[in-house]
Amino acid sequence: MGNLKENQAAYYPGCALLTIDRAYNNSSKLVSKKMGIELVDIPDYNCCGIGEMKSKGAVSLYLPLRNMVIAKSEFGSKDLVMACSVCYHEFTRSIERAKEDKKLLDEVNSILKEADEEEYVPEGGARHILEFLYNEKGPDEAKKNTVKPLKGLKVAPYYGCLYSRPSMYTFTDKKQGMDNSERPHFMHEFLESIGAEVVQYGNEVQCCGGRNVVQDEETSFALCSQTLSKAKKAGADVLAVICPKCAGALDVNQPKIIEKFGKDSELPVVYLTQLMALAFGFSEKEAQFSDMISNPLEVLKEKGRFI
Amino acid sequence: MAVEHNKNSERPVAEKGEHIIARHLIDDDAIKEEKNLVIDGVDVSGRWNTFIETRVDSEFDRSFFDEIQKTVVGSRINRCWQCGMCTASCTVTPLYRRFNPRAFIYMMQLGNLKLLKKYTDVAWRCVGCYKCSQRCPKQVNPAEMMEALALLIKKYFPEEIKSNHQLTIDEEVKKIYEGMILGHGRLDLANLHTSAMRKMGKTTELMSDKDERGAIFKMMKDGRALSVLRLGKPHKWHKSKDAIDNYLRHTGTLEQEK
Ligand code: SF4
Ligand code: SF4
Repeated sequence: MGNLKENQAAYYPGCALLTIDRAYNNSSKLVSKKMGIELVDIPDYNCCGIGEMKSKGAVSLYLPLRNMVIAKSEFGSKDLVMACSVCYHEFTRSIERAKEDKKLLDEVNSILKEADEEEYVPEGGARHILEFLYNEKGPDEAKKNTVKPLKGLKVAPYYGCLYSRPSMYTFTDKKQGMDNSERPHFMHEFLESIGAEVVQYGNEVQCCGGRNVVQDEETSFALCSQTLSKAKKAGADVLAVICPKCAGALDVNQPKIIEKFGKDSELPVVYLTQLMALAFGFSEKEAQFSDMISNPLEVLKEKGRFI
Repeated sequence: MAVEHNKNSERPVAEKGEHIIARHLIDDDAIKEEKNLVIDGVDVSGRWNTFIETRVDSEFDRSFFDEIQKTVVGSRINRCWQCGMCTASCTVTPLYRRFNPRAFIYMMQLGNLKLLKKYTDVAWRCVGCYKCSQRCPKQVNPAEMMEALALLIKKYFPEEIKSNHQLTIDEEVKKIYEGMILGHGRLDLANLHTSAMRKMGKTTELMSDKDERGAIFKMMKDGRALSVLRLGKPHKWHKSKDAIDNYLRHTGTLEQEK
């Protein structure tokens, strides 16, 4: 494939973003491109394990690391950018575990060899799109590209868990340039740079039900209703997320949550990058707001200026 | 215990006595009480002679500890000094008070299977939020210790999994994930969702647009539900699959598959 150009970055789409969460995938690419970086899909990716393969020893590392190997051999890139927080977690976890445990690294490499793949050498890292855009371009660049500031739109930023935790994998608080683990603020800064008003509501880094969203709806609904109702009570018009799993729990399941916990939990959910795309002048169609189940279009129209 | 919410408060309310941290110490079978006991002519029946059963473990078996330490997820079990930060940080504990990562790690350290068995019904509820691992002062990575716990339950209490509806479902859903991720190299989310719903017996919900409020229908209509057909499989994935299967058959650890 050959190496990437300077304004390009190797990108891992992942299963959710290529299917159900295409709105997040497409808006991430639009926004990055506008800010000067083209995200290029690595060829032939495989699923990261989505947190469900952790009890399978070295296999849980093999799944993400096979993709790191592809990024290196196909694109000459040590780093890999991704937008899903679960993928990000699986990648950072595997890279750190492989770095600290030689025996485990050898096991991964022997599976790679048997599978006819190239060797994995621990170097470089996985980068979450939020951290990546923040450090490579920053809120000022976002501000420069904003042609339609989201003035008057109150946004509750929701970081969830795995973007900033645990710092043994994410290096939040630990490495210069990384976000804060308990009180992350990169999303706040981007939202402010595109003219939106950030709402503080107390559940910014709470969990949506995570690993058990599918098999333990009861717990997930209880957690999500807290987050949605708190944000709503604080005056938010929309909740902004940066992970398709969070979106699954808070957006796709929202009708069921409302059924159980009432209208207090009714709040449109959008991806941060969709809002950025809108502010950068892309249309509502290009940002694919209609893909969201919780119907953010209404409030965006209601507020007048946006669509 | 069901998840309960007090309308006036933002935190779920604990039931009476639920704040006791080392609950297993006062479980019925850990309490010794003689119904009719007279000592030196004094009647000390009932409450007067209540004692906690001896906790001296005469069957301590170190091999159990090693078994956990050899797994990728349980490799740091030796580091835990039982400070309780994990439980204090936990997302699940306020919802299910019997879910106590600190105590589970203690039971695992001691190899106390008898005690662990009593908690199989809640042990699977970890949501993987990693608050515990973030705050653990000893880098035990308790979030992943909960995965090690799941491995133990699978090995030592298969009959509990079979007899508990929710545990069975958890197992079944995990198998669906596994079949897709390892079998095909990619995850078909729409299919995962509908298969899991079927396993959970929620077929009526799948049909009625009231409960799913058309989410699935909408995704069918705009093509997202079917976009997995375009996703395909990674090139030469069968080689990866064979290598993975081969590894899992020969690990010689708790992670090994039959
Ligand atoms: S926080 Fe860490 S050291 Fe403390 S009890 Fe939990 S696992 Fe053990
Ligand atoms: S990862 Fe699991 S055990 Fe740890 S705090 Fe979250 S729910 Fe609790």
